Amino acid sequence: MMHCTMDDLLALQANEGSVWAKRHAETCPACRAELEALYQRIAQLKALPVRRPARDRWPAVRGAIRAQQQRRRRRWGAWSIAAAAGVAALLVFRPFWSGSVDAAELAQVKQQSATLEAELQRYDPDSRVMSGRSAALAAVLEDRIAVIDGELAQLGAMAAQAHAAQLVKLWQQRVDLMQQLMSVRVTRASYVGL
Amino acid sequence: MTISLAVPDVVVARARSGDLEALEALYRAFETPVHNLALRILRNPEDAEDVLQETFLEVVRSIKQYRGEGHLWGWVRRIAASKALMRIRRNQVRATEELHEEAAGDSRLGGAVPARIDLERAFEQLSETARAVVWLHDVEGYTHEEIAELMGKTVSFSKSQLARAHTRLRRMLDHEGAVP
Repeated sequence: MMHCTMDDLLALQANEGSVWAKRHAETCPACRAELEALYQRIAQLKALPVRRPARDRWPAVRGAIRAQQQRRRRRWGAWSIAAAAGVAALLVFRPFWSGSVDAAELAQVKQQSATLEAELQRYDPDSRVMSGRSAALAAVLEDRIAVIDGELAQLGAMAAQAHAAQLVKLWQQRVDLMQQLMSVRVTRASYVGL
Repeated sequence: MTISLAVPDVVVARARSGDLEALEALYRAFETPVHNLALRILRNPEDAEDVLQETFLEVVRSIKQYRGEGHLWGWVRRIAASKALMRIRRNQVRATEELHEEAAGDSRLGGAVPARIDLERAFEQLSETARAVVWLHDVEGYTHEEIAELMGKTVSFSKSQLARAHTRLRRMLDHEGAVP
């Protein structure tokens, strides 16, 4: 005797079962039991406990939002000023840093980031169109940059000497992401002259 | 999971203008359901928290495009589901899921599987893709068409994933010798 497949049972559960499956499930105790078990499994899945996040991510989200808002306000040109300020801060804090972290490395990576920002701005991304896939990729990259900006903003409020290595790492990550973003913008967008 | 979250229009309007307090109110309203959805699909708490964060950054960026059509939770949930699926794709690039699933499937569904495990554990042992399809369809109420669109796959892919996942769940949950 042929029994209902899982596809048949799922169709029955969704009220989309074939005439044969409906008739069969009515007369076959095994398939009726399977259908009942399916209903129960779905009910139990719906009743699984709700899992709350272990950590509060709002401070990180807020940091990223603030950083994004500041970025929009300042736009791109102000980054060179920020980089210069960063270099100045490095010179001030350099004596406190451990020897393993080179302040010049931080200044260099910040400068790279500022240069990429300026290049992107020159490229005028708002006036170009991309495919949906490229736009989604660019959005993901911008999100990740915003997250890093949030972390940088949080670190900036703390003692610089304790986080120098982390700062260099974050700025390097930022540069990597900026390069990827540049690649997406330049290679996949076309100018529409808006 | 039934969600009945009502966010006042005034909060949404303030959030649109970038008001941080309003954005936090939105975050607080949806952080648990978004995290729960991501965790159920991805299983890894770190990944789930990252999806939570990415979802809200997307909400902040796109809130101006939300026209108030449909429930706000439905809109946020779609973003969350999309972010979780994007992470699955990223994970699949790192480690080929088919190999993982095949290797795991041998031990999960064979004689080594305990006679009975609870549904939560059984569900967690499904592949990420299968978990996503089961959770979105059976719990969140997405149609196969919606899942297919979100995943960039066909409707039959979604249907077959669901059927295979339920077959595995049934086997894992069965008492010894109780399978008809």
